[in-house]
Amino acid sequence: MVLVALITVLLNDAGIISLAYIESRLTYFIRPVEIGLGATVVSFVIGFAVGIPMGVVRAFGPSLIRRRGRTAAIVMPLYGFVSGYVQAIRGTPVFVQILLIVAVVERLVAPGTLGIEFWGGVVALSVNTIGYQAEVFRAGFQSVGQGQVEAAKSIGMTPLQTFFHITLPQGLRLIILPLTNEWIALFKASALLWYVAVQEIMWAGYHLEYIDARPIEAFLMVSFWYLIIMIPLSKAITYIEKTKRIPGLGSAAEPARKRLFGGRTRSDAVDASR
Amino acid sequence: MIEVKNVHKSFGDLHVLRGVSLNVTKGEVLVMIGPSGSGKSTLLRCINLLVQPDSGDVFIDGVKVNSREVKPEWVRQQVGMVFQSFNLFTHLTALKNVEIGLTRVKKVNKEEAERVARFELERVGLADKADAFPAQLSGGQQQRVAIARALSLNPKAVLFDEPTSALDPEFIHEVLDVMAKLADEGMTMIVVSHEMGFAKSVADQVVFLEGGTILETGTPEEIFNHPKTDRMRSFIGKILG
Repeated sequence: MVLVALITVLLNDAGIISLAYIESRLTYFIRPVEIGLGATVVSFVIGFAVGIPMGVVRAFGPSLIRRRGRTAAIVMPLYGFVSGYVQAIRGTPVFVQILLIVAVVERLVAPGTLGIEFWGGVVALSVNTIGYQAEVFRAGFQSVGQGQVEAAKSIGMTPLQTFFHITLPQGLRLIILPLTNEWIALFKASALLWYVAVQEIMWAGYHLEYIDARPIEAFLMVSFWYLIIMIPLSKAITYIEKTKRIPGLGSAAEPARKRLFGGRTRSDAVDASR
Repeated sequence: MIEVKNVHKSFGDLHVLRGVSLNVTKGEVLVMIGPSGSGKSTLLRCINLLVQPDSGDVFIDGVKVNSREVKPEWVRQQVGMVFQSFNLFTHLTALKNVEIGLTRVKKVNKEEAERVARFELERVGLADKADAFPAQLSGGQQQRVAIARALSLNPKAVLFDEPTSALDPEFIHEVLDVMAKLADEGMTMIVVSHEMGFAKSVADQVVFLEGGTILETGTPEEIFNHPKTDRMRSFIGKILG
């Protein structure tokens, strides 16, 4: 952070960028930040709510199908659908998904409807993050040990009780880190919504560049606003991870700072695969 | 109390139990020994239906439990189980581990559940560890919490699946002491274990399982000191070292 500030000041002194200009335009981003953050938060929550049941189907589907009978008849097509969905989302670029889904939304809803760009963007991001979060939850549920499940059964818990009291609370603790990575990746992916006319942070940067012809300043400001949101958020999640940590369960928190400024990390890998 | 009649179980091509029968009366302690792969754990799991027998019957207090009319969850509340690897719920404290069966399964109110849980922890000598998480306890302490958890539902019998074989030698006796005390108090127990000292002093009946069948059965004195078959003799020789 200090280094970035220093370079910015040096660039200013060298006459390459103008800090005075940046200062005059910085508040221009407040509404776009609200929009970008809003779209990400809403999509992430939807992804969480839908991702959990889909993760359940992915994690426990195969063993339910093996039992045959009526359960299998219901679970089999469900498992097929969820697996296909996850494959489709992970196998196509997020940019393509956004363009495609927004086009579909605009076909279904009359164009020009108030806020259609925003909600089209939310649908697109949700569809994307559902697929990724489903996989995060699947991995979380599957890493809860068989012994834990057997012990829960041995005291008379039903499969549902076992899931809600044992598998879910343990699984959620195990996936705080991958879920954080998904949040970071999703927020950064929201920058692509500028292309479908959602007036978020990236859109504001492009707009300023267009009217003021100062691209370096414009995208420095874009970067600044992303960082301003990411840093406290990552700190907050690290804090949650520490307080919710159970001795002997899950991984120790990786310092949040390292993820933001360090070289390639897992969140970048997720990004690259989009 | 617990009656197993001609139980068979296969996993795929592997015929693990080939017609096993045994009978444990109320307050009796049965110790099961035998080489690994002989079906001891599977037989134990057939009793509380963690494994569904392919054929044969299991009766608990005269109720045939492996039938469609009986819910396996009900059976498991009647018969507690203690595992080789403890399997305490890692995200819960010792107290919550013992409580959870009462609050979630038996729907006992919180105060009563805590009272019972503290009493059970006291019983296994761990009242002071109520707030510790499993990872903060030694193996012996974890296993004692697991015994308290199994006792919390006030079961008619408790099954022990090699309760001391994952423990460091220094912790074995504290677990065996708790089990011996439990036996003294009249608990019906089926124990898979190769702890000969325990079997000799606590068991009423010893069963030798091999290849999915019971090869020999008798009192500890008969089995350990006067084995009838050569196979039994050589096995005893090996475990006594």
